[in-house]
Amino acid sequence: MTAIAADGLSKRYATVTALDRISLSVEEGEIFGFLGPNGAGKSTFINVLLDFVRPTDGSVELFGHDCQTEGVAARDRIGVLPEGYSVFDRLTGRQHVEYARRSKDADDDPIEILDRVGVREAADRPASDYSKGMKQRLVLGMSLVGDPDLLILDEPTTGLDPNGAAEIRSILREERDRGAAIFFSSHILEQVEAICDRVAILQDGDLVAVDTIDGLRQSIGGGTKLLIDVDGLDEETVETVRAVDGVETATVRDGTTLEMTCTNDAKMNVVVELQRLGADVVNFRTEEASLEDMFVAYTGGGRE
Amino acid sequence: MSWRVIARMDGALTAEPRSTRLLLGLPAVTVLAAAYLYPAFGTEPITTARFTGFVDGWLATVVPLAGILLGYDAVASERESGALLLSLSLPHGRDDLVLGKALGRVGLLSGVLLAAMVVGAGLVVYPFGRFVAAPFCGFVATTLAFGAIWTNLGIAASISTATKQRAFVIAFGLFVLFVLVWDGIASGLRLGLNRAGLVDGTLPGPVRFVFDLEPGAVFQRVTVGFLDPSAAVDGPWYLSEWAALVVFLLWLISPLALTYSRFAGSDLS
Repeated sequence: MTAIAADGLSKRYATVTALDRISLSVEEGEIFGFLGPNGAGKSTFINVLLDFVRPTDGSVELFGHDCQTEGVAARDRIGVLPEGYSVFDRLTGRQHVEYARRSKDADDDPIEILDRVGVREAADRPASDYSKGMKQRLVLGMSLVGDPDLLILDEPTTGLDPNGAAEIRSILREERDRGAAIFFSSHILEQVEAICDRVAILQDGDLVAVDTIDGLRQSIGGGTKLLIDVDGLDEETVETVRAVDGVETATVRDGTTLEMTCTNDAKMNVVVELQRLGADVVNFRTEEASLEDMFVAYTGGGRE
Repeated sequence: MSWRVIARMDGALTAEPRSTRLLLGLPAVTVLAAAYLYPAFGTEPITTARFTGFVDGWLATVVPLAGILLGYDAVASERESGALLLSLSLPHGRDDLVLGKALGRVGLLSGVLLAAMVVGAGLVVYPFGRFVAAPFCGFVATTLAFGAIWTNLGIAASISTATKQRAFVIAFGLFVLFVLVWDGIASGLRLGLNRAGLVDGTLPGPVRFVFDLEPGAVFQRVTVGFLDPSAAVDGPWYLSEWAALVVFLLWLISPLALTYSRFAGSDLS
């Protein structure tokens, strides 16, 4: 069964279109990364799934339940880490998990959950005294209550150090292996690359790509990027190369290396163009494009 | 039954801070003080039925204050901080949330009022008074409903705006308007119209009806008309206790129902 099915979902505010006719589906048992620069509409999309925000047009379903008209049923089988939440002022960590447990009518042991997300030691302290990272772990713990069939996580690794982020990723893998679908948004590409089966890239409310990471790689320049060491590289040269047909991105690394993604056909044209400009090509190599390169290619360098 | 989970948690969280306990102590102490003084200052016969007419004026001031302060923060500060998003990420509807909050907080105030009334009845009856059950039980029910009206008004203020501060201004504004200045406006109008020679004595019936729509006035008219044997309601049908009862029930339901429909359709973030 399809975990998330969005159909032409739009959200317009007075002057801004936050989401423009988004259609996508997330299948059971996959980890789906939702990427985009800040302000691209990722959280708006998630907030529509959770019925915090009403769409202007279109609809979205979780396991066949419309998120707006059957919100409670739609949220019945999911676990959520929302954006912009705050913990309850006077509840301890354990009481938070207890609240989620009663709300979902589940029978998890709160201490086991807190142990799994690494805040067991703080179980009986007020959650408002937790650090940002501990709060994040606590709410992730609440989302795991009742073995949900879908986890919706908005920037789950915010506030965590790299080790913490790795722990979270291993929890997400465990959940996927259990059979849960995972939908999470992020602007930290390394994390998405490390874990996602498929990704969607959102920019200014538009879905610009939905594919596997390999698929994305194939669609830009055969998945490679070109590194050309040039003597006396200047901004004008970069501009000219950028204008060559088939070149998606061109940036300068370390002052002397031109780094670019382009279609295979364009590679030769670039070298010819450099020759014509009288640039001195010292070295020429290729490298597998990272998700970041693809992201830049798709969003025009809008990453923040 | 997900409102039960909300009611239980919210009731427990609300009852905890000392400020809430002081707040809830206010109507309780008022009932007990009135019950203690009534046998000394009331007129014979001393009964729990006639006690209703003695205490209702006090309660008409104190219960609104407790109710409004108990209600105004029900949703607004959680909405402002974002804790609301945690609750609504769980399988709770916004209707469950508001119902749970209302029942949790009305339950707290009702519990305290009920306990105070039971002890108060003892103070009235012992040693020379008489316990008249039916009107007194009716009065307890009416007082609890009156507490619910004001708690609901506070919650209505809480869900009609996005910040705690604005909710407080709206809720406290209602209290000031209806409880503190309303009678003054009515008296001023009466005085002015009398001075101008437009009316003789009391205000005309329809104008009185408008002024008597205020919840405290309705509460007292219901008490006087149905419960206190020492007094009676006079005037045309629309000033009768039956009309007051209808208005009373409307106050109980409509403020929350009207503001809820807007809350249900609004974007929360």
